[in-house]
Amino acid sequence: MMDAPQPSKITDEELIAYLDGELDDPACRQIEHLLMTDPHIRRRLQELERTWELLDKLDAPVADERLTRSTLEMVAVEAAQEVQKSSSILGHPLWIRWLLGGSILLAAAALGFAGSWWFAPDPDRQLLEDLPLLENLDCYWQIDDFQFLKGLQEQGLFQEDGDP
Amino acid sequence: MTPWVSKSSARRHAMVDPDVGLMLRVREGDAEAFTELMRRYQARVLLVLEHLVGSRDWAEDLAQEVFLRVYRARKTYTADAKFVTWLFTITNHVASNALRTKARRREVRLRAAANSSGSGRPLERLLQCSSGQIPARQLDKAEMRDIVRLAMETLNERQRMAVLLSKFEGMSYADIAQAMDMTPQAVKSLLSRARLNLRQMLIPYLETGQSPETSPAVHTEEIAP
Repeated sequence: MMDAPQPSKITDEELIAYLDGELDDPACRQIEHLLMTDPHIRRRLQELERTWELLDKLDAPVADERLTRSTLEMVAVEAAQEVQKSSSILGHPLWIRWLLGGSILLAAAALGFAGSWWFAPDPDRQLLEDLPLLENLDCYWQIDDFQFLKGLQEQGLFQEDGDP
Repeated sequence: MTPWVSKSSARRHAMVDPDVGLMLRVREGDAEAFTELMRRYQARVLLVLEHLVGSRDWAEDLAQEVFLRVYRARKTYTADAKFVTWLFTITNHVASNALRTKARRREVRLRAAANSSGSGRPLERLLQCSSGQIPARQLDKAEMRDIVRLAMETLNERQRMAVLLSKFEGMSYADIAQAMDMTPQAVKSLLSRARLNLRQMLIPYLETGQSPETSPAVHTEEIAP
């Protein structure tokens, strides 16, 4: 609701807000009082009312069935395009989607296995890597000098038959 | 409009305004609800657009654009206002864009036409032609309609939109303000100037059948929202 007008003077803006039902009760009462006592204000109000009512003479277009149908067709095309867009990812036949999904799962599993094999500590792998050392451990215990051992290795003493 | 609204607020709007309920159904993909909204509002949107742009064919194209936009916006629709306010916010944007585009294209052509058209005021020309010989006579319906239509055309775009929403949609200043992205006080001023313009154009003709003053002080200045 708008502010109340000054009792002594009323603007066209207030008169129009009064006609539009936008004034609160005290403001309405003030205007109604002025309308009863001031013929000039009454005339202004009547002119505003008359011109407002004249707008009823304007054509009121009727939306015919053709326009409704045509609009709905446009919306249907829009909807179809939306569906097409959203189904571009899921637009393949079901079996292809299953195949694609399965392949992705298998690839993920293989990657996971390879990752865990490389990075997770595996005691068996360590044992295999240390097998040559373990096999000759008794010999190594007999010799205290590491340089001497290294010299023996360089001469090929610890090589197996199949080693290069 | 705010991008988010609570569920309870949306429910409240849907209860007060059944069209909000329909639009919420449209949001959920209910095509029947969309058709129903179109049937309810198409003529109303068309009426506003036709008197805003001054052409039935163009108004029909724009009305279709409005409903397409309603459909496109369905997923982001939030029931934070009356449906009619939301709809006419879209209508206002569509019409403003269209008029702006047309104005850019026709600027040169209009200037040329104004230079070569005598008084350059279609309402005055019509008034001079139709009532010059028989003042104060009874106006026939078609003539009166043309006079009123031309008087409306003397208003600027914003005044016309505010008048149409107030007159034919019965919207409050607050709702018009929301639809036109203005304050209610600005709408009050805008409507006041528009109605004073209409009075200035139409009352002399109603009373005497004569054209109004040659240079009426038409209040067409824009106001800040």
